[in-house]
Amino acid sequence: MSTPADGAFRGEVRGWLAANLADGFAGLVGKGGPGREHEFVEERLAWERRLGEGGWIGLGWPVPDGGRGLPWSQQMIFHEEYARAGAPARVGHMGEQLLGPTLLMFGSPEQKARFLPGILAGTQLWCQGYSEPDAGSDLAAVRTRAGLRDGEWHIDGQKTWTSLAQFADWCFLIARTDPTAARHRGLSYLLVPMRQPGIEIRPIVQLTGTSEFNEVFLDDARAAADDIVGAPGDGWRVALGTLAVERGVSTFGQQLGFGREFEAVLAAARRNHSIDDPDIAARIADAWIGLQVMRFTAQATLGTPAGTSPGTEANIAKLLWASWHQRLGELAVEVAGADATQTGPGYDLTDAQRLFLYTRADTIYGGSNEIQRNVIAERHLGLPRG
Amino acid sequence: MSDIDQSDSPEQAALRAAVRDFAGRHADGSAPKSVWPRLTGELGLTALAIPERHDGMGGTLAEVAIAVEEFGRVLLPVPYLSTVLAGAVLADGAAVAFLPGIASGAVTAAFALTGGITATGGRLSGVATHVLDGAEADLFVTRAGGALYAVRAADVAVTPVGTLDQTRSQATVAFRAAPAVAVAGDAGRAEELLRVLLAVESVGAAEHCLDATVAYLKTRVQFGRPIGAFQALRHRCADLAVEVASARATARAAVAAAVSTPDQLPVLAPLAKRHCVDVFWHVAAEMIQLHGGIGFTWEHEAHRYLKRAKSSQLLHGTPAQLRRLVAERAGLT
Repeated sequence: MSTPADGAFRGEVRGWLAANLADGFAGLVGKGGPGREHEFVEERLAWERRLGEGGWIGLGWPVPDGGRGLPWSQQMIFHEEYARAGAPARVGHMGEQLLGPTLLMFGSPEQKARFLPGILAGTQLWCQGYSEPDAGSDLAAVRTRAGLRDGEWHIDGQKTWTSLAQFADWCFLIARTDPTAARHRGLSYLLVPMRQPGIEIRPIVQLTGTSEFNEVFLDDARAAADDIVGAPGDGWRVALGTLAVERGVSTFGQQLGFGREFEAVLAAARRNHSIDDPDIAARIADAWIGLQVMRFTAQATLGTPAGTSPGTEANIAKLLWASWHQRLGELAVEVAGADATQTGPGYDLTDAQRLFLYTRADTIYGGSNEIQRNVIAERHLGLPRG
Repeated sequence: MSDIDQSDSPEQAALRAAVRDFAGRHADGSAPKSVWPRLTGELGLTALAIPERHDGMGGTLAEVAIAVEEFGRVLLPVPYLSTVLAGAVLADGAAVAFLPGIASGAVTAAFALTGGITATGGRLSGVATHVLDGAEADLFVTRAGGALYAVRAADVAVTPVGTLDQTRSQATVAFRAAPAVAVAGDAGRAEELLRVLLAVESVGAAEHCLDATVAYLKTRVQFGRPIGAFQALRHRCADLAVEVASARATARAAVAAAVSTPDQLPVLAPLAKRHCVDVFWHVAAEMIQLHGGIGFTWEHEAHRYLKRAKSSQLLHGTPAQLRRLVAERAGLT
């Protein structure tokens, strides 16, 4: 249901994007994102600040905390229009979508006053330090340790799969602060400056040949004693609390992006006449049907108010889109045929090749398909744990 | 997991609760003669979408869909889907004379859309096959040359046929210069609405298959624990839950299109029928596998769902035919 206010808001978003995604920023259309995070970094960082100046960060945050307090429907509209305009992939989304909501829920007034303005202005970038070499799906197994000595947290350990660590000013991470407590009970949620001697960042070269992810080594890295969210030992609750309120508002923008990728595959199949093959034609039709089904599912489930449902809508949406997107990648290279086996100089990939390769990660990151199924089996269906 | 449908208005939620309660008392797949009069007279369910001036309740297909879904949940063997659809289609011209009978439950209807029927001077000839709910229908809605007609059962030769799915009858209907009432509106829309309702019905049935299977996995003990604790089975159920959620959303979108954006029906109806019935088929097939041997018995309910799913999949457009239809209509060629 679209209200007049929603319509006016859509016009406001469109107008702002048209006016600002121009001149120096015009070249950013379609830039960044999976497989292309290395592109136009300086320009995209400037774009973050422009978004902040325009008041387009923290749309759903409460007004007293510097947000705009907009309803869910208008946040959705923003993401849709952002994707429709082909605005560049965000660099500041981890601060806006993960740390910000965490501070709003669990942060002290001082922490909110100190950190939220930088996120809202697009001037302070964050990365997430959860995964470790031995703590992937089993996140409670984190081994990075932190101890409070001389008024500072001293942190030692290793994080991995840290997106955008090379651009981040700060990292929110979970570390073991009570070595005697078992599993998730001894963890704390710390805010750690990235630019300090105790932190070393090494890019991970992925199978795409590019590096969105990094290893982060912490060797007596420091954090101020106050830069802990919640109490010591609360880290697990704080980290998971954010995931529970994340209602997938960005999904609708993401699906517009999927729609554009599908159109590109369809156009390629028409160009080289592979669509005349009944098998390819059938798979194209299936991909399109799957896209509509995902959209209906997101509309029906993600818009429900928190607390009225088992809370597994995001897991259902993730399983649907990750698997769909991966199949689209496979279709894209099959449509291209033998040409998809050749690259440009320096392993320069086509969009189809990039889609094909990068989507192998979709079913792994953000909770692998297997973890999503565990969550759905337990929380949605109430099946006993194994 | 299926207790609340968050898109229901309070009135619709009350309707759903009443229909589910009624249908649940006949969940063994039987429907004694007393069921239809109560379903119509007492609950007024065939009157839901008929305008008030024709003795109906003036609702929309959204209310009808609730009843169809709930009857699908238990595979209630009544000619409800065909009859309410006739109520929705025969809304104009001389055919409105049939509406009070449909609203009261005195008249049951069936759609004879498969086969070559020709019209000459207002009379129909030809043979229609695979007529769902046709064995007991009082009235047939059929198409000839792109136009819709209503024909009384007394004016045609109805031959009931054996059916794989014994919860829904079929008939072969022979028209021999049968007098017919021309119905305003196009035949294409009637079949699209039929597809939408088959999609909706499949969602109710698929949800029941999943619920029953999950309940069984929680109580069936092997190797000293409930088999629902085994990850191989948990993951399959999780995938089914995702499919059912997607089917529910898709059917809802198709119903919404039928009510308010009918220009989307030519794409959405075959899309929804294909997706929702495919999901139903998958859940029903998994229901048997996950129940093991007991699921293969005549006594267990699973086979009724399996047979309904396959029959719904093969009628009014097979999965392959519907996919091609969607591709053509959505311009994916």
